[in-house]
Amino acid sequence: MGSRVEILNDGGYRSDGRRQFELRDIAIDLSRHGQADGSAMYTQGLTEVLVTVFGPREAKLRSQTIHNRANINVEVNIAAFSTGERRKRSRGDKRILELGAAIKSTFEPVIQTHLYPRSQIDIFVQVLQQDGGLLSAAINATTLALITAGIPLFDYVCAVSSGVHSTHAMLDLTTLEENDVPHLTVAVMPRTGKITLVTLETRLHSDRFEEVFRIACEAGKVLHEEMRNAIKARTSALARAMGEGHPAGAPSNREGDEDFEMGDD
Amino acid sequence: MLSKSEKSYIRTSLLSEPPLRADGRSLLDFRGVAVELGVTALANGSARVRIGGDAGSESGGGGVCGTEVLVAVKVEVEDVSGSVDGGKGRMACNVSCSPAAYPSLTMLQLDDFQSDLTSILDTTLGCSSLCPTNLSIIPRKKAWLLHVDALVLADDGNVYDALFLAAAAALHDTRIPRTRPIEYRPNNARSQASADASDDPMDGASGLDTHAMPKATDFELMDYWDEGEPLVCPNGMSWPICVTLNLVPPLFYLDATTVEEDATLTRLLLLYSFSTNSSNTRLQGMRLLGHGEVEANLIKPLIREGEKHAKHLNQSLFAKLKSELTKRIPQIVPSTKRNK
Repeated sequence: MGSRVEILNDGGYRSDGRRQFELRDIAIDLSRHGQADGSAMYTQGLTEVLVTVFGPREAKLRSQTIHNRANINVEVNIAAFSTGERRKRSRGDKRILELGAAIKSTFEPVIQTHLYPRSQIDIFVQVLQQDGGLLSAAINATTLALITAGIPLFDYVCAVSSGVHSTHAMLDLTTLEENDVPHLTVAVMPRTGKITLVTLETRLHSDRFEEVFRIACEAGKVLHEEMRNAIKARTSALARAMGEGHPAGAPSNREGDEDFEMGDD
Repeated sequence: MLSKSEKSYIRTSLLSEPPLRADGRSLLDFRGVAVELGVTALANGSARVRIGGDAGSESGGGGVCGTEVLVAVKVEVEDVSGSVDGGKGRMACNVSCSPAAYPSLTMLQLDDFQSDLTSILDTTLGCSSLCPTNLSIIPRKKAWLLHVDALVLADDGNVYDALFLAAAAALHDTRIPRTRPIEYRPNNARSQASADASDDPMDGASGLDTHAMPKATDFELMDYWDEGEPLVCPNGMSWPICVTLNLVPPLFYLDATTVEEDATLTRLLLLYSFSTNSSNTRLQGMRLLGHGEVEANLIKPLIREGEKHAKHLNQSLFAKLKSELTKRIPQIVPSTKRNK
């Protein structure tokens, strides 16, 4: 599909005013959701994903249990109104199955499944809005949700999409850019520097690959910092609430009344 | 699922004097309701409604989480030249549930429940008496099709009330793009029509007839400072509001939590719409859910009671929507001044 918009103009700006390596706004909401054990709402630009995690728990189907490790079950649901043009995707849709399989294979080596034999971890991915970088947003949200659920991981998984426009690498593409530019999604484990996922659906010249890949890995480290801050803020709020003897989830902005210590905590 | 003794415990405490509920509410108390408009940027109108729960706590481990429903409205141009009802546009509703909202249901059960919710929303809102009057683009040719998509994100009881509240709020938030009909008249220099609109030789022939009614063949979107005009509900009525009466004979209570719903045999859904000056009330729908039965002579007083509570709910929703929409105006006005 040919575009009438300039992907990268002479001044080095993209169609939405970003620089080549600039990421979009990221918002992370880790508040509780429904009866889930862990959940995360991850917003990157206009892409919005809600991931809820249940488990480890007993599998609903006996046949799904694995005798020496936990089974990871990923269900993806894309809201009909999430794209520019309304489209209802059923659960068996190829695109949805593929997305679910990608998330599952990304997290299989990261979750310490051997700790929970014969159990199941359910990951429900709900896509509320999409504007490029759907897989990377889903992976980041899943990492955060798994952490809030208290499921032991070897490391964070930070994913980002990147593409090449002629010779210029770009990060975090929007739908508009994804339609025009060869792009790949990379998921990194920042502490060890390992890669758990690389997907490339379009053609890319092999000379360009290394540069794009390297930049995506670096961006993963930046995202890691962002995600770690969110997790730290939540955990310290929880710890503070426990210290104050309030039920977790009570308003945590109580700097003023620290001198009223409750007797028994 | 609750055990038999838990159910009877809940039922006896509801029937005791004074009635007792686990969260300390009285029988006719609602939990806190939060409404947020314009939550999805890619839709023409959207709203998120949350009943109960401690919304806004950032620390996250709250004890109760509440019911959360998101509704988005998207408009689409539909060709209505072949339709029998005059082609005034229509509304199509669809409800889907996140599996996270019902962790105990299997996928098949979830599909069943989704189609239950879809059918009640679609039969109520899709009713021709509630079809907005400004959906027509070109009479008998093109009209807007409203897709009302609801998403149940979390269920802690009373999902029907939340669903209809969210749908009403989203429809209030919806803006229909402004359009202008354009036509093609080959021999008429005065016409402001663009020639590429239609190259049909049939239209060229009718263009010669100057006495014929001007026939619009296509339309264009008008460039205007706001996103469009709000939907106009026919006869000045409001969008339907649902009130669920949970029946524990001889009394009923409102806004049940999941646990209370499990312990209640019968639920009566009543759907009302009100005229804007609240002088006129219409019953839009009624459903009896559950296993139990209700004595026929009880229905009339129940409908009257339900009307009272629905009216109250409608008024609070309306006040909230009004304050939300006026909050937006100051944001819009300065930017238009700058443009001019």
